[in-house]
Amino acid sequence: MNVRRWSALTKRELLKISRNPAAIVTSLMLPILYLVLFGQGFNFTSFLNTPGLTPAQKSQFLAQYLLGAPDYFSYFAAGMVGFVSVTATLFVGANVIFDKLFGSLKRTAASPASATDIFGARLVAGSIQPVGLAFLVLGLAILLGYAGLAGLHVSGSVTVVGVLEIVAAILILSLMFASLFLALGFSIDQPQTYFALVNAINLPVLLTSAALYPWGAMPSWLQGIASYNPITLAVEVLRINLFGGAYYPDPAWVYLLGLVGWAAAMFAIATLLTAKALAPKV
Amino acid sequence: MPDAIVAEGLSKTFNGTVKAVDTISFSVRQGEVYGFLGPNGAGKTTTLSMLTAVLGLTAGKATVDGLDVSRHPHELKQRIGLVFQESTADQDLTGRENLVLAAALFGVPLRDTPKRVNELLARLALADSADRLVKTYSGGMRRRLELAVGIIHSPRVLFLDEPTLGLDPQGRAGFWKIIGELRKDTGLTVFLTTHYLDEADGMCDRIAIIDHGKIVATGTPSELKDRVGGDVVTVRPLGDASALEPALRALPGVTGVASQDGTFRVKCPSGEALIPKVVGAATNLGLSLAGVSLRRPSLDEVFLEFTGREFREDEGPTATDRAVFMSRFQDARRGRR
Repeated sequence: MNVRRWSALTKRELLKISRNPAAIVTSLMLPILYLVLFGQGFNFTSFLNTPGLTPAQKSQFLAQYLLGAPDYFSYFAAGMVGFVSVTATLFVGANVIFDKLFGSLKRTAASPASATDIFGARLVAGSIQPVGLAFLVLGLAILLGYAGLAGLHVSGSVTVVGVLEIVAAILILSLMFASLFLALGFSIDQPQTYFALVNAINLPVLLTSAALYPWGAMPSWLQGIASYNPITLAVEVLRINLFGGAYYPDPAWVYLLGLVGWAAAMFAIATLLTAKALAPKV
Repeated sequence: MPDAIVAEGLSKTFNGTVKAVDTISFSVRQGEVYGFLGPNGAGKTTTLSMLTAVLGLTAGKATVDGLDVSRHPHELKQRIGLVFQESTADQDLTGRENLVLAAALFGVPLRDTPKRVNELLARLALADSADRLVKTYSGGMRRRLELAVGIIHSPRVLFLDEPTLGLDPQGRAGFWKIIGELRKDTGLTVFLTTHYLDEADGMCDRIAIIDHGKIVATGTPSELKDRVGGDVVTVRPLGDASALEPALRALPGVTGVASQDGTFRVKCPSGEALIPKVVGAATNLGLSLAGVSLRRPSLDEVFLEFTGREFREDEGPTATDRAVFMSRFQDARRGRR
């Protein structure tokens, strides 16, 4: 790896991202729609506010179904913050395909830049951006509570270490998905093929995670799948830090470690596929 | 001085069946402008891609600036400049940003970069639009930016793939003026592919004519034209002129006479000197002439001579084009590439 080439290519990616606000808006669209529509309409824990329920019954319900989150919306909003990592890194792979179509990847590939420089620049630029966007979605979810809608209530006491854990979770999850989408982007030539594949990946990954469902309502087989899902792992780090970890079997760092495993595996696969795609065609 | 480019038995086969380049050998001397001339699909770009380590070799060996292209692709990329057929600049970046990026990629020292970038922007008449996004550039400006990117690191060998495709005559003249200046200043070696006959004729020191993946002739433009057999004087007599043919054959310097529909095509080394003699011979026989015209051999005739076909700049896709397209199409369907 050559630091100058890598940093010049990273700067290029960041310039391109900053000059394309439409991509940022699009990557925020899905999580925001989920927050202001789905989350509002689906906030079933509001019935806990009906008179007659004792505080003990109420907290038992929350503990069983939402692992200690104060209400469904808060629980779900933490899931959406994690989902931003997917919607925001998806463009990183699409940009590779557009750079192929517009010729600029041809230029870079014909230069002395190595596959590591080319892949690394896109990976880093593409993984930093979702962290900012995730915090934007987190802020929005909290603000909704002050606008007369259901909002995210931070019921735990958030520490500095907790914030760092949240940043790490989103960053590692973004690195994992950026690796995955870059691997697809370098291996595929047609945008329509890419977007079809991405759609085929996106929804199953979201629906096998604990981002949307109340944990206690999931059948055990789905819980089993979801506990290994990388989105679940990141979202659990968020929930432990925002609502307290009393009902989670492991501390946050265990989930972070699981995420690192996912990211490392995906990174290894993506590096191989990228090097193959950029090697001289035989 | 060793040759700048040496290719020996270079071959490229796509999908194991389509021979895009078929065992070609040639060498390019230092400081020379060497042109690959041929119709679409002849194997020009495939050859250039192998010499620049963009494509792997199926067989054969090639060295550029003393480096084996298969064994040292990385070092090779650092020493050569490459201008593609299509625009490869980043549309969302300014001309200057594109050049600064290229300077970093091709290893121009950091402290020299601003000076080098400004120098190239001025030389290629892009200084006024340097800070505009490339998507606002005209076709000619994009071509000049491509050239600037290609020579940012002062390469020793410059590869140009159909460099002036789509440019107007003024733009083409401007492009070649810059290449001429660069050669004078730096002793650059240029390898180019083109299907513009006049460009090959006017700009190249030597030419290789390539057709169906094989080199069919090489030489300087004038050598190639001489091989066709010099000038052609066309004589159109009035009325029956069967007596004229032996008289024309007897004229000094005439190397051949062909007649078709009562018109004679007379081959000779110097047509100008022959015309008065032709008129004299006809007058002696009491024949009147409808017209006499002189045609100097062009590369068009050279191409006809060596390939047996007229040169067409707008030929449709060839077998190679179709095979490459189909393989990409099938790969895309399988989702492989």
